[in-house]
Amino acid sequence: MSGKTHQYAFFLGCIAPNRYPGIESAAIKTSRNLGIELLPLKGASCCPAPGAFGSIDLKVWYAMAARNLVLAEQMNTDIALICNGCYKSIWEVNHKLKHHDELRDDVNEVLKEIDMEFKGTINVRHLAEIYYDEKICGVAKLADSITTPLKGVKIAVHYGCHLLKPRKEREFEAEGVGDTENPMWMEELVAALGAEPVQYRNKMQCCGAGGGVRGYDIAHALDITNEKLINMSEVGADAITEVCPFCQLQFDRGQIEIGEKFGVEWAIPVLHYNELLGLAQGMSPQDLALDLHGISCEPFLNKLR
Amino acid sequence: MAKAKGYSDENLSVRLADRYYRTEDASPDFLKNVEKIGMTIAHMCYQCGTCTGSCPSAPRSSYRIRKFVRRAVLGLENDALTDPDLWLCTTCYSCTDRCPRDIAPTDIIMAMRNLAFKREIVPRNFLNTVQFIYKTGHGVPNNDVNRAARVRLGLEAEPETTAKYAEFIPGIQKILDHYGLKDKADEILAEGQ
Ligand code: SF4
Ligand code: SF4
Repeated sequence: MSGKTHQYAFFLGCIAPNRYPGIESAAIKTSRNLGIELLPLKGASCCPAPGAFGSIDLKVWYAMAARNLVLAEQMNTDIALICNGCYKSIWEVNHKLKHHDELRDDVNEVLKEIDMEFKGTINVRHLAEIYYDEKICGVAKLADSITTPLKGVKIAVHYGCHLLKPRKEREFEAEGVGDTENPMWMEELVAALGAEPVQYRNKMQCCGAGGGVRGYDIAHALDITNEKLINMSEVGADAITEVCPFCQLQFDRGQIEIGEKFGVEWAIPVLHYNELLGLAQGMSPQDLALDLHGISCEPFLNKLR
Repeated sequence: MAKAKGYSDENLSVRLADRYYRTEDASPDFLKNVEKIGMTIAHMCYQCGTCTGSCPSAPRSSYRIRKFVRRAVLGLENDALTDPDLWLCTTCYSCTDRCPRDIAPTDIIMAMRNLAFKREIVPRNFLNTVQFIYKTGHGVPNNDVNRAARVRLGLEAEPETTAKYAEFIPGIQKILDHYGLKDKADEILAEGQ
């Protein structure tokens, strides 16, 4: 274990800081325990939402994401983030602008109006993938940081879409992360906390919310979510974990909406991986603002006691 | 629709007639535009259906991604852009992940949505997001319940984003205005559908 601190500019996005602030707080504190320092990325905006913005005008999506990237370039620091949707925007636009001169020129033309220039000097990573990276943290170091193991609970992992897919376009620094058909690295991260990760049918299916579908046709989106909930409940999941606050919103608020719309009752707690890690490192439910969750985390917390 | 070849032997002309499917209302530029905006190779599609078979939206609707790819190849612009199913793609990228021809069907959909927006065909929820971002920098802005929770956690009420540093918002507005996005969103919303 090296004593070196790794620093990243912390890109927050929207849903974590503005709906589930416990994720933001937990990410900062739990990472610090692992020798990872998350620095404020001042003045960052929405990534912007890849479905909503990309659908309207991809050029605006590139330019808006580039502005966020330039803020980190000015700090001379790589970005770490905690949301798959943000990963899609920030990682992918960074990658595209680094590799397509014409696109970069277009974007810089616009950024010039606000005295900015995309140079392509930094990298973008998802915090979960940083945790898995042996060069920085790794599963063993993660397990060492645990003070209150999450014993006796079964956890279903929802990987989400935009961190891993499309596989052909992704490049990860951490080894063993790229598989999109049946990845297991997040299960390893969950097992490191003392919990039991469970396998369920069609694990890699989408939560249903993306691409603007949640806003366009909520019943359609919720029907996809409901299918995942059925598959997770079949194997007795006590909780769902993910690394995407938008997926979290869809599963958490979605269970309530499914009750209202379809008359089907669910009560499976939904926790971002950083919230789980926070609990396992001894943070209290109050430290994580779990009371803001739509679905009560109490049954899950009681099982831990 | 078969294209006449004008061979002197009428029998051969009929037998060897061009059987490529063409329709009168096909738009030849549609494929080109879709491929350029989507940065993908729609014309390589051999209609295997792996994309539709991977699609979470297919089993619960009439949305068929393979059909949209075909429409791109055939130049069926109107059919594609006016079909309400265009907006049922969750952009999960399962189709793109699995396409044996290395096409990105998801990005074909994104390109078609961009083209639809140019014609002012767009669901309202997309435009609302634009308005939020123009005003606050966030697609999902902060609120008072959340501010109180943040303070309880020892965070500042406003995150270290445009929410706390409002001086960055004019820059965002300039970018959006450069593309005329906010005005167009306002205009379409005012017209109602
Ligand atoms: S998977 Fe690819 S080749 Fe097969 S139908 Fe879909 S787009 Fe065409
Ligand atoms: S990206 Fe869209 S079209 Fe492709 S599988 Fe997912 S929902 Fe279906």
